[in-house]
Amino acid sequence: MHEEAMLRDLRRKLVEVGRTESVDRFSVVRLWVGALAHTSETTLRDRWPTTVAGTPAEGSRLDVERSDDVHDPRAGGIVLVRVEVPPVSTTTDERAPAALEGPEGLRARPE
Amino acid sequence: MTDRTIAVDYLARVEGEGALRVRIHDRTVEEVELRIFEPPRFFEAFLRGRSYLESPDITARICGICPVAYQMSACHALEHGLGLRVTPAVRALRRMLYCGEWIESHALHVYLLHVPDFLGYPDAIRMAKDHPILVQRGLRLKKAGNAIMTALGGREIHPVNVRVGGFYRCPSREELEPLRPVLEEALGIAEETVRFAAGLPFPAVEEDYEFVALRHPEEYPMNEGEVVSSRGLRIPATRFEEEFREFQVPHSNALHSMRRDGGSYLVGPMARYALNRDRLLPRADAVAREVGLEPVVRNPFRSVLVRSVEIVQACEEALRLLDGYRPPERPFEVAAGPFDVPGCAAATEAPRGLLYHRYQLDATGLIEEAKIVAPTSQNQKRIEDDLREVVTRSLELDDAHLTDACERAIRNHDPCISCATHFLTLDLARD
Repeated sequence: MHEEAMLRDLRRKLVEVGRTESVDRFSVVRLWVGALAHTSETTLRDRWPTTVAGTPAEGSRLDVERSDDVHDPRAGGIVLVRVEVPPVSTTTDERAPAALEGPEGLRARPE
Repeated sequence: MTDRTIAVDYLARVEGEGALRVRIHDRTVEEVELRIFEPPRFFEAFLRGRSYLESPDITARICGICPVAYQMSACHALEHGLGLRVTPAVRALRRMLYCGEWIESHALHVYLLHVPDFLGYPDAIRMAKDHPILVQRGLRLKKAGNAIMTALGGREIHPVNVRVGGFYRCPSREELEPLRPVLEEALGIAEETVRFAAGLPFPAVEEDYEFVALRHPEEYPMNEGEVVSSRGLRIPATRFEEEFREFQVPHSNALHSMRRDGGSYLVGPMARYALNRDRLLPRADAVAREVGLEPVVRNPFRSVLVRSVEIVQACEEALRLLDGYRPPERPFEVAAGPFDVPGCAAATEAPRGLLYHRYQLDATGLIEEAKIVAPTSQNQKRIEDDLREVVTRSLELDDAHLTDACERAIRNHDPCISCATHFLTLDLARD
């Protein structure tokens, strides 16, 4: 429940960033995961394709930086550090074909 | 290859989330469904196969705001089943710990979640710019509650010192003495809070609630008492499930609860106050009278006033317990067995209302079955009923203002989801 709520909030933020920056596709999303965030990188990667389906982050590469600092003020959370935008015009036609094929296409691209 | 990088640096937040589906046909509200999406958490299943001694610490994790309530209901239920009797000093310490939780939980709700609604601010952060004193008052009260939690529980959130039979360690009088000036200051702030809350602009609303709370022969209820209702129910907590039914609804992951022979009901500060007005301590009673607080409050918006009176009560009670505290000879009692308890139950008063626990143990003291009925789920149906009234009264509002009115109605009852300032997705169908 805890990580589900944080992932939903990240999804909201990614949509907002896409809208405010007028970008319809990110190539990379970078997260920072605090030492006390009570989630694992494996779990995040498993849940990521479903979390970002239908957002500019769909099909993007997920970079995860894991912190070991339990004293960091944000140790309990997940931080959306940055997103990267691909160089060419980003229309939906240029997305990975798999991302256009319905639920099965929601799987992450191989990295 | 990257065209550009957008730095975001955004910390993901954990928020409750809900949606409200409203169907209006020919200016009549036909359907109101409050949908809670948080997935089931399976705590009752986690407990199966675990030692009864683990229940206070496992169930405390259900809530970061009211962990003590879960610890208390677990301890009382299990001690009831195992025939353990705690000493008066342990009883007093438990009550003092509960005071700490009430103070910090109520202060958070009053100042950071509820008052901004009345003063026209979207949240406490923006209210703080114009009314820094109010937010500081709330934080000072919360700090006082946290101080009790730390002194008795070992830490502010999810205390680790509570166990079945008592405490792992009981503090000395000298260790508790630093709480006195903190609580004396908090008591004064709490009284000011009542006076301030009495001047807030309240909509003229009255709801026909059935109030349900504990009632103790001598005290304002926290740890013990019979389950009573404003419609004449009076039963021991062990018979709770005979009178109340918890059930699933198709539209929400949150359970609902109803009287078996009736409808929805309300637990929490308004219910406790209505059923225990005569049990308030002198200063809480005096300030309630001073501001003209009616003996039974049926306007949900005035719950902020009742909650404020309960902060006074909790500060005053904590000081009273501190005055009389003598450390017990033993910090905890140990159960000798037998452990094969077919059923044991108890209810205590969490800040948000009555919290019921029931357990069944095997011969070795492992939990075979657990049932937990939380106050927020008990109020869920009643909140839907309130929302129906709000929508009926507000048919002329546009969707944005109607959403705001509904969010305010929900925050009146301080459910767990109220931590999310803007959480409600309104699905409104007007035929």
